[in-house]
Amino acid sequence: MMIRPQEEDEVIHQQEGEEEAAVTAEMSEKIQNYRTAPFDARFPNTNQTRNCYQNYLDFHRCSKALSAKDQDPAPCEWYRRVYKSICPMDWVQRWDDQLEEGSFAGKI
Amino acid sequence: MFRMGVEHAKRHPGIVPQMFLICLGMGGAFVYLIRLARGPHVTWNRKENPEPWNKLDPTYQYKFMSINTDYKNLKKEGPEF
Repeated sequence: MMIRPQEEDEVIHQQEGEEEAAVTAEMSEKIQNYRTAPFDARFPNTNQTRNCYQNYLDFHRCSKALSAKDQDPAPCEWYRRVYKSICPMDWVQRWDDQLEEGSFAGKI
Repeated sequence: MFRMGVEHAKRHPGIVPQMFLICLGMGGAFVYLIRLARGPHVTWNRKENPEPWNKLDPTYQYKFMSINTDYKNLKKEGPEF
């Protein structure tokens, strides 16, 4: 069957839409069954500071990236749950304030 | 210089285990220092490779011995973006 160029774009777009829907469904199930932050092999030691900071950054980067691509930023909720579990409240509040002011030091 | 060392060792044989243990200790310290420097938790080059720990496989094992953690079945948790 010969597919014209416009149809081909539509087919790809539809496939991407389906994949995106599958990822979002899987993530929302994971988020519903969330209990606490799972073991992260990148941070195996007792000092979990970097784990906290990395998830905070990942949440904001993910939201920014998915909004830029016009996708639903709901899957990023996973990172938010993880950093809320691990990070001290003071730090989260401080970083949120810095983000609002525009003086946050991390790269988002 | 090494010949002098060997001559000394023949006259004072106690030097041999002492030197051996010193080399072992200092060598071990340097080896561990190099392991720490090459580890994924260090950022050497902020422009090119700012977060090397993000490039790891989710089953990567840094510690020598793993007792309760099942490294084979770990997966990446969060969504891609």
